Amino acid sequence: MENSTKELRGKIALVTGGTKGIGKAIADKLASNGATVVITARKPSEEETGHHFIAADLTDNSNIAELSGKIIEKYGTVDILINNVGGTSSPAGGFQMLCDDDWNRDIELNLMASIRLDKAIVPKMIEKNSGVVIHISSLNGKIPLYQSNFSYGVMKSALNAYSKTLANEVAKNGVRVNTVSPGMVKTTAMETFLESYAKTISKTVAEASQQLMDSLGGVPLNRLAEPEEIANMVAFLVSDGAGYITGANIVVDGGTYPAV
Amino acid sequence: MEKELIGKVALITGGTKGIGRAIAERLSEAGALVIVTARTRPIETHTKHHFIAADLTIAAQTDKMVNEINEKFGSIDILVNNMGGSTSPSGGFGALTDAHWENDLQLNLQSAVRIDRAILPQMVEKKSGVIIHISSVTGTLPVYQSLGGYAVAKAALNNYSKSLSKEFSPKGIRVATVSPGMVKTDTMDAYLQSLAKTSDLSIEQVTLDLMDSLGGIPLGRMALPQEIAELVGFLVSPKASYITGVNYIVDGGSNPSL
Repeated sequence: MENSTKELRGKIALVTGGTKGIGKAIADKLASNGATVVITARKPSEEETGHHFIAADLTDNSNIAELSGKIIEKYGTVDILINNVGGTSSPAGGFQMLCDDDWNRDIELNLMASIRLDKAIVPKMIEKNSGVVIHISSLNGKIPLYQSNFSYGVMKSALNAYSKTLANEVAKNGVRVNTVSPGMVKTTAMETFLESYAKTISKTVAEASQQLMDSLGGVPLNRLAEPEEIANMVAFLVSDGAGYITGANIVVDGGTYPAV
Repeated sequence: MEKELIGKVALITGGTKGIGRAIAERLSEAGALVIVTARTRPIETHTKHHFIAADLTIAAQTDKMVNEINEKFGSIDILVNNMGGSTSPSGGFGALTDAHWENDLQLNLQSAVRIDRAILPQMVEKKSGVIIHISSVTGTLPVYQSLGGYAVAKAALNNYSKSLSKEFSPKGIRVATVSPGMVKTDTMDAYLQSLAKTSDLSIEQVTLDLMDSLGGIPLGRMALPQEIAELVGFLVSPKASYITGVNYIVDGGSNPSL
C-alpha cells in the first residue's frame, strides 16, 4: 500500500511558523505529499527538519520583503502559502488585564503578518492564474473566551473576515483562499499555555485543560486534536481535489463548535 | 489514490447518478466495498458496486434494505446519506401545497433519519463509524424562487446532523454534513432546462440567473460531482479523525457570510 500520494510534486509551499506544533505537522505533511517546503520562524529548529528554513520575524515588515525576495529568487514562485504563524503572549484574566501593547502585539502576529505576506506573494499567484492560500485561524475566532484568550480570539475573527474577503477578490484570478480553524490542539505551545493558565487559576494542568474544554461548551470527541489531524485537512485543501473550495472557514474541532 | 478504506463497507444512498455516483466511485477507488441504492436499477451499473433497489421514502423498504445488507455484507462502516432532491414546482411560497412540503421532507430529512436509526446501533456496538449527510448550500442560503421546500428540508437536515453528532461522537461515531453549491449533474441539467422552459429564457441565462440569485459564485462556475466526492472521501477516511459535527460548504465561494 502506498503510504501517501505525491499529488503536490513540483509545488513550492511556504509554511510560516513551520518549526513547531501545527506548522511543523503541516510542513511535514506537504513534503510527504511531494511539495518542496520552505518554513519560516524567528529561530531555526534545534532538530533537523528536512525543509528549507528561512529565519524571519513576520511582525517586522522588512523581514517579509527579504523573505519573499529570497524565495522568489531561489524558486521563482510560491504555489501554496500557509499563513500559520500566530499566537499570543497576552496575559489571561479578561478585558482589564490587556494593555494597548498586548492588543498591538496580537494584531501584528495574528493579522498583519498574514496580510503583509499575502501582499508579497498573492500577486505572483495572480500572474500565474493559480495558487492556494490558507490562513490558520482558531476556534476562538468563533467561540470567544474572555477568561484566557480575549485579544487572540478577537484577532482570529478579524483574520476570518480578511480571509473571506481576499477569497472573494482573487477567485476570478485562479487563486483559492481558505481558513482552517482548529479547536484545542496538543502542541508544546498548548502545553505551555495550559501550565501557565493552571498557575493563574491555581489548578492542576489536567483541571485547567478540562476547564478550557468546558468553557468551550465541551468537546464531543472528548480529547485534544493531534497536530497531524489539522495538517491532514490543510493537505486536502491545497490539493486539486479541493478545486471548488474557496472562501470557506473549515473548523476541525472534535465537534466543539455548538451551532449549526 | 491511497487504499485507506480497504476492509470498510460503505453504503451510499442515491448512488447511481450525479454526486452519489461520484462518491461511490471515489470510495471504491479508496478500497471500500460499496453498496449503492436507488429506486430503479440504472441501465449500466458500475460493476464493482452492489446495487440494492429501494425507495427510501417508504419506511418498510428501509428496514428491508438494511436487513439485506446485514445478511450479505455484515455491518456498515461508512454511511453516506446522499439521497435527496425535490419535485416541487418553482414559483415561491404560494406554489407549494402540503403534499410538496411532505414530499420534500420525506426525501431530504426523514429518509436519512430512518436509515441512521437502522444503522447506528451497529456502529455504537463497534464504537466506530462515519455518517455523512449530503445537504445543500440552499440550507444556509435559501432561494425562494425555486427551491423553497427543499432548502427548508436541508436546513432541518443540517440541524439534525449536528444534534446526531453531539449525541454519538462520544460513542466513537463521527457525523458530518457536506453542503454542495451548484453541481453539474444530470439532475441539475434537467432542472435548468425546466427553469428555462418555464421562464422562456436560454439555459445559459437561467444558469447565470441562478448563480446570481445565490449572490454570485466567486469561482464563476458550477462544481463537478467529483469535487464533492473528494471532500466526502477525505471526511470518511482516518485522516479526518478529529472532524465531527461540522457542515462543510463546497460552493466555489458563493455563501457570502463568514
